[in-house]
Amino acid sequence: MKSVLAPLGALLLVVMLAACSNSNMARPGDNGEVELHTNNSLLGNRLSVERLREKTVGDLMYVQATLENGWKAELDFQYKIKWFDKDGFEVAPESQPWRQLVMAGRSQNNVQAVAPNPSAVRYEIWVRE
Amino acid sequence: MVRVLSLAVLSLALLFTGCASKVDYGDAQARETVTTDFGSTDLQMIAAKMVDDMMVFPPIVEMTRDRRPVMFVDRVKNKTSEHIDTESITDTIQSKLINSGKFRFVDMSVVERVREQLEYQQDSGMVDQSTAAQMGRQIGAEFMLYGNLSSIVKRDNSTKDVYYKFTLKLLNIQSGIIEWSGEKEIRKTRKRSLFGL
Repeated sequence: MKSVLAPLGALLLVVMLAACSNSNMARPGDNGEVELHTNNSLLGNRLSVERLREKTVGDLMYVQATLENGWKAELDFQYKIKWFDKDGFEVAPESQPWRQLVMAGRSQNNVQAVAPNPSAVRYEIWVRE
Repeated sequence: MVRVLSLAVLSLALLFTGCASKVDYGDAQARETVTTDFGSTDLQMIAAKMVDDMMVFPPIVEMTRDRRPVMFVDRVKNKTSEHIDTESITDTIQSKLINSGKFRFVDMSVVERVREQLEYQQDSGMVDQSTAAQMGRQIGAEFMLYGNLSSIVKRDNSTKDVYYKFTLKLLNIQSGIIEWSGEKEIRKTRKRSLFGL
């Protein structure tokens, strides 16, 4: 009986830890390199930002992040792009949804987003499970 | 006797605990996967995709460079088998477009009430005519937003697969030309677990 309960307990612990996971954040650093902040080691180890590109369309910022799933299995997570004005205030925080993304194992995906209005001059990309 | 009483009290306590309910606030943007039916996450993803696509389409960028065109939302036809409030989707899209500062909208759902207010201001004798809104001064919409939401549902004993396709079009009312069209596809799959739970 004990031999059955022990693996079940371990499995439950893994599930509980996964359920409590937080977000990762990426944004371009001062030198243009991708800076990755990781609060969720599981997702952070498997997912990376390979490249960030940005341009201006009209007067709106337009960003593209190339995400890479370095894990062999499918990765199911959400991402969100937070926009900030020149004073550091988040622009339209409640109108930016978490977007669902399912990535095949060992694959890359480009995710894109447009600033909600011209006041946005900076952005951060957040991911969570 | 004491043991029986204790057991009864314990049973009652467990019963009441089991029936207890708790109301709590949650993240309105959290992933919602209670069922495969159309949900809040789908609505938010669709609205964001449509607005992003429209904002970066070169002719739209050019059109909104120096002016804010006036639009109106017709409707999104629900061609799925579900009851879906498609007006909620277009409301979200409309809000995002207005807040982008690129477009303005006229609201056809309040035309009668606006007419009543205009008549009150013009005819009631209650309103200072120097401040009264004038009849026939509204701005006509240049573009119309409309679209479709359709779905394909397939299922077998253990799996249900739902594919949604949302299509939105921007039509120039005067020329009849569709200036832009966007699509968003969503696939949701539900697999029954081993014990059917």
